[in-house]
Amino acid sequence: MRAKAGGARKWQNRAYVIGFCLGLAILAFTVLPVGEWFHAKGPMNTGHGKLACAACHKHAPGSFRQQIQANLRHAFGRREGPAPFFGRLPVGNADCMACHERPNDRHPVYRFLEPRFSQAREKLRPHQCVSCHAEHHGRRVTLAETGYCVNCHKNTRLKKDPIDVSHADLIADKQWDSCLGCHDFHGNHIMQIEKSVGKRTPTEKIRAYFDGGPSPYGTTLHYKAKQDG
Amino acid sequence: MAKQNFWIACLALGALSIYLFVSAPPPLEEKKISDAAIPVERMFEILKAENDVVRAMWTKEVVGAGKQTGLKFDERWRDADVEAGPLPALFLRETAKSLEKNPTPLSLFLGSDYPVNSANRFEGLQLEKFQVVKQTLKPQFFFMPDIQMQVAMFSDVAVVEGCIQCHNKHEQSPKHDWKLNDVMGATTWMYPSGSVSMDELLRTLAALRQGFKDAYESYLEKARKFANPPTIGEHWPAEGYFLPSSEVFMGEIAKRTAPHTLAVLSSLASKPKPGGSAANKEGGALVIAR
Repeated sequence: MRAKAGGARKWQNRAYVIGFCLGLAILAFTVLPVGEWFHAKGPMNTGHGKLACAACHKHAPGSFRQQIQANLRHAFGRREGPAPFFGRLPVGNADCMACHERPNDRHPVYRFLEPRFSQAREKLRPHQCVSCHAEHHGRRVTLAETGYCVNCHKNTRLKKDPIDVSHADLIADKQWDSCLGCHDFHGNHIMQIEKSVGKRTPTEKIRAYFDGGPSPYGTTLHYKAKQDG
Repeated sequence: MAKQNFWIACLALGALSIYLFVSAPPPLEEKKISDAAIPVERMFEILKAENDVVRAMWTKEVVGAGKQTGLKFDERWRDADVEAGPLPALFLRETAKSLEKNPTPLSLFLGSDYPVNSANRFEGLQLEKFQVVKQTLKPQFFFMPDIQMQVAMFSDVAVVEGCIQCHNKHEQSPKHDWKLNDVMGATTWMYPSGSVSMDELLRTLAALRQGFKDAYESYLEKARKFANPPTIGEHWPAEGYFLPSSEVFMGEIAKRTAPHTLAVLSSLASKPKPGGSAANKEGGALVIAR
């Protein structure tokens, strides 16, 4: 009887040890870099496969203790505002720009902050990188439409138009899907711009490029993004 | 059992209090509302005055004089096959670009109702405000709720013949009858809060000066690669095929802007803070980018 009780205790202790080790392993898996993929929201976008979470998800100022302390002080009226952020900082343009900032960007996000782009902001939110490049979707561009140029270029007129069907005619015909057939939005590809509208890259290939496929604009870039995150 | 739970809860709360407050690290810093006593409009005015000095200097003494001594300035100045420097509007854009990289949340744009580059044409509210600027020559201050930004618009006047000649002759220009002292456009400045502390103001001013420096150094970097590079050092284009070094250029900016900027800063610093509290004697040192 006693032997039986001792055996049960032995198994109980073993179960405790196994449970403790299992708990420790799960904890390690959630906090160590090896398990980052597990708690990411989804697959990394094109070209971001090797990035660590911390490349974009930066620690908020202060330790957890300071952040909790600040919020409690605020709750008791000892501080004007709560801790600005808890845990990690939200990911914003600056995090993208840390690797993708280019002196020749044809459409830098900050330009869309100008008051005159209020309608475009309402429709597209082009002043935020993630409006078109939402991370954890396993794609390059997450914006569904390819004719978004309509939001700003309705009145574009060129005095010396170099193409066989004028931009004015394309705009009048509402051929907004044709823009990306000749122009890359950020202007980072070194390429000859097509002069014949008929020879432009078809929309299907643009969509495939959005989804992470090969670049219809060639692979030679003015500026390469930083690789180290 | 209930008693036991009560004591456990008391112990846990006690331990938490010790953890959070007794043995805690120093509290997180916070920006107090009471510290921000300077209306953002005053800051915009200081920044605008500095920008005006630099813009006039660039237009007259670098672009204007440089063209006479063999330097070229072109809208395609960044292209690899073009040996030129940035035109005045593009120098401002370079400055704006540097500001965007700076942690200071200040933005700067230049636009017009008749721009050479149609991408810079004012529309909507900005166009309405610009018409007022054009008619009254007075700055316009307003708030953009969708981006939560305070905005200031200041007139951009044709200060030299070069401005109007270039715009009148340009093939993409929608207007060819510009005259000297015409309001050719406006600079638009943006900042997220309605009032700033002296420290914020100084940091923003330093960021703008860093912007001028970055813009000028990007031109020098290009100029050094010209087939026939100008001599970079003490001399200015008015004296020959020269360009001032970054230090000389920034030193000249500091010399020309200091009287006005320091006078305004002094007057702001001497104003009593709201609430009558004594002014903080640990003010930040004015950083001048050189």
